[in-house]
Amino acid sequence: MYCAIWFALTLAGTAGLFMFQGAQFLGVATIVVYAGAILVTMLFVLMLAQPQGLSTYDRVSWEPLLGAGVGGLLVGLLTHLLRSSLATADAGFAAAKPMTENAVLVNEHVAGLGAQLFSKHLIAVEAGGSLLLVAVVAAVAITSQGVPKRQGGRYE
Amino acid sequence: MNETTLLLNYLVVGALLFAIGLVGFVTRRNLIVMFLAAEMMLQGVSLSLVAWGRYHGDWGGQMLVIFIITVAACEAAVALAMILMMFQRSGKLDIAFWQQERESNLPAFVDQELPAEPEESKHWPTLTPAGREPRFDQEEVVHRTHV
Amino acid sequence: MFDFLDVSTRMTLIPALPLAAALVTALLGRSFLREHSHWPTVVGLALSFIVSLSLLFEVRELAGQAHAPHETPARATVHPASFQQAEPAKPAVGVEIVHALWNWATIDGAIDTPSRALPANGDATLPAALPFKIDISLRSDPLTAIMLCMVTFIATLVAIYAAGYMHGDPGYWRFFSYVALFVFSMTMLVSVSNFLLLYVFWEAVGVCSYLLIGFWFEKPEAAAAGKKAFLVNRVGDFGFALGLFLIWTTYGTLNYHDADGIAGVFGQARLTNTADPYVGGGLGLAICLLLMLGACGKSAQFPLHVWLPDAMEGPTPVSALIHAATMVTAGVYMVTRCTPLFLASLQEPFDYGGVEISAPTIVAIIGGFTALLAGLIGLTQTDLKRVLAYSTVSQLGYMFLGLGAATLAGVTSGMFHLFTHAFFKALLFLGAGSVMHSMGHVIDMRYFSGLRRIMPITHVTFLIGSLALAGIIPFAGFYSKDAILSALHARTGEGGTGLIYSVLYVTAIVTAGMTAFYTFRAFFMTFYGEERIPHEAGHHAHESPWPMTLPLVILAIAAFGVGRWCEMDHWFAHLLEQTPSLAYISQKHLPIDLRGPFGQFNIEIAALSSLVALAGIALAAFLYLGDRREVDVISRLLRPFYNASLHKFWWDEIYTVLVVWPTKALAAVSYLFDRVIIDGLVNLCGYIPRKLGGVLRSLQTGLVQFYALAMAMALAVLLLTLIWPGT
Repeated sequence: MYCAIWFALTLAGTAGLFMFQGAQFLGVATIVVYAGAILVTMLFVLMLAQPQGLSTYDRVSWEPLLGAGVGGLLVGLLTHLLRSSLATADAGFAAAKPMTENAVLVNEHVAGLGAQLFSKHLIAVEAGGSLLLVAVVAAVAITSQGVPKRQGGRYE
Repeated sequence: MNETTLLLNYLVVGALLFAIGLVGFVTRRNLIVMFLAAEMMLQGVSLSLVAWGRYHGDWGGQMLVIFIITVAACEAAVALAMILMMFQRSGKLDIAFWQQERESNLPAFVDQELPAEPEESKHWPTLTPAGREPRFDQEEVVHRTHV
Repeated sequence: MFDFLDVSTRMTLIPALPLAAALVTALLGRSFLREHSHWPTVVGLALSFIVSLSLLFEVRELAGQAHAPHETPARATVHPASFQQAEPAKPAVGVEIVHALWNWATIDGAIDTPSRALPANGDATLPAALPFKIDISLRSDPLTAIMLCMVTFIATLVAIYAAGYMHGDPGYWRFFSYVALFVFSMTMLVSVSNFLLLYVFWEAVGVCSYLLIGFWFEKPEAAAAGKKAFLVNRVGDFGFALGLFLIWTTYGTLNYHDADGIAGVFGQARLTNTADPYVGGGLGLAICLLLMLGACGKSAQFPLHVWLPDAMEGPTPVSALIHAATMVTAGVYMVTRCTPLFLASLQEPFDYGGVEISAPTIVAIIGGFTALLAGLIGLTQTDLKRVLAYSTVSQLGYMFLGLGAATLAGVTSGMFHLFTHAFFKALLFLGAGSVMHSMGHVIDMRYFSGLRRIMPITHVTFLIGSLALAGIIPFAGFYSKDAILSALHARTGEGGTGLIYSVLYVTAIVTAGMTAFYTFRAFFMTFYGEERIPHEAGHHAHESPWPMTLPLVILAIAAFGVGRWCEMDHWFAHLLEQTPSLAYISQKHLPIDLRGPFGQFNIEIAALSSLVALAGIALAAFLYLGDRREVDVISRLLRPFYNASLHKFWWDEIYTVLVVWPTKALAAVSYLFDRVIIDGLVNLCGYIPRKLGGVLRSLQTGLVQFYALAMAMALAVLLLTLIWPGT
């Protein structure tokens, strides 16, 4: 339960970061789509599938040490990689793109975004649309199968 | 702060998000929480993409993030539907229940030790009784787990 | 007769007819011919015999011309297929007719020309490398012709006999097919003009012997005896093969005759070469002894004599044909053919620390020892066929004694004894078969006796055969045995070698006495005394049918008369002397006067041998006619000797310990090696992928999180490997 709430906060942070990068549309989209739609759906499912208190599987993790170790290792590696590769490239890129000449950072952000979407990535847009349709149908199909009747009921 | 440092910082944050999401996915056993962690991984990736897009002045990064969000929506729909179905079949949201895809001669992952249930003092709020008290079982009142 | 067929066709027909009979019987015997399966074989063999006779006449005519006074140059070598003529100016050595059928194998430049290789024409030079060329070529000289006649004659009679003996046997057609195949192999063995082909047919007769000994293969003793015969023969064949290799590397050719410009080992060019044509010394001794080893295997001489008594497990016609008359004589034939090689060893003996060893002496020693050994064992055997088997071994030893005398007289007397022995030994074996047939396959002499009234023909023919074997005048055995004894006697008295020959002469005399004794012991035990018939005989206890008695009668006539007949103007000896290998002796000037007088009727020797034989017969009569009490007394007195003789001097047991056990141990070790290491390696090849698969399978846990973790770890490892070299 609490995870979902925290996740919402994470989404808010990400949206803010998008804004900082000049991707306003994306920031808004994150709040609206992600936090609004996806997270709410999740909360609904949580409500429907509510376990009784903290069950065993909520309390016990699977290989926590190994998981945490691998995660930390990955972060360290990625950071190291990024620092080393960007540091070497830094000299060449120092005066490359001043902020004012960045093509992405324009005032008509959404217009530019739309122009790009429907010119260069038209097919991807169409495909995305069909994918959404298919996903809706799939979700309906999966849930319409019904519940196999069990004696003990839903709660054990 | 030049571009490169900005990029680096954003990328590090993206990486952190990704790593935390990974750890969460690997470690937690609740299906829904696992899904949330996967979404967080996607967030980290989106952040990195936007940062790169800004760095190179290319719209491509933001394009891809739009599609990521789209796909994430679809995926959420399907995944949550499945989680519901799995819950209705098994009665719990434990991923360790769904181990049938393993090789037949390997041992199943079972919980070795269960941490003790935290003692919750089951103090439920009570009202002073007005009128005739309904007939109820004392033990049941104490050992009830929900209101 | 048969003038419408020229000589080469006749030479080819002689082995071809039995081969055709074998094929016909093999293909049609089971389904079509069945009880009539004997017809192809009998007819084929009879025709082959008639053609052999005509060939013998042809050769005799040729030899008569050659022996005539030498105003006209003799036609020594006739090649009907080629246009070569013998050198008219050179006097020829013996007579031979060679007919080449086809070329079997040619490898050019196979060997650097050895120093002893000679060109076929005296003045030509040989190329630097000689080819390995094997032609299937048949030859016809007196030795071959005589052997062919004997082999086909006895084979025909045995086939007729077997038609009666094997009547009703389920493998009837198989038997005749094998017999015809055997006769084919034997006739080819004596007809080919090449050492390699001799080896091929040497092995072929060994195979046929194995098949026929183990004819009743469901009987475990028969199967084991067949195996034993073949394996012991193999040991001899190994020596023979080594001898072949030495001949090839020494003389550059394996042909007997001159071919392709290279002088054959016994070809005219080499035999007429006055300067040292054959190698002596150590190499010559080695060649001769290796060839002798092969002959020991085939002719059952010591130490490879152990297979012949066990070979009596085969049907009696087989014993009569193979182990009396034909196959076992192949060794004697081979040594006779290689006489020049043995003589070369005699001329230049091998000096071993001051002692001169020559091959013929060793041949004679082996022969004499075997004769004595077999004779001693035969004294106590109770199985009639085994007595005859040991007597065969003993008589073969006699033949080698004759050959070992290395004089012209000795060699021809050895062959003469081979010739006569074939007749009377086949007669004796067929008689034993007749007895066995009536007694319901019981052949142990302790279980029957007094059969002379039940089986009169067998009784009389067996008596004739025994007299011939004992060497009583005027039966056949007397003349040949006497000839051998004379040849031996002629070699006594010349120093060290003479001493050896004296000992051998005494051994031969003693063995003659023993031969007479045990032969008549068997005769008296079987046909005299009270009438006892074993119950297995049932209604069989009567005289045998005519297919069995007719050959007995014919052979009895032969055993009676053939000795006298051959001695009429000594035509046998003179004919045989015209064989190139033997004519060589009479033309070379050799230090020892080997052209000893043949057939000179040495009255002292004849009297001595006859006396000894009669003494043997008398002793046998004394002990075994009547109530036979004395036998028990003597056997108890001489208990250790009796036991030793009864147990064949434990040679089978010695071989079991020396040879069989180590071989079995080696086989067990090899089996273990094969099972553990080889199979283990193969199993390992199957085991490793399974284990690898098992390891990989453990990755499939079914836990989703495990998969995700694995992916993350892999990513980490990948990044590590990318970063690491850079730091």
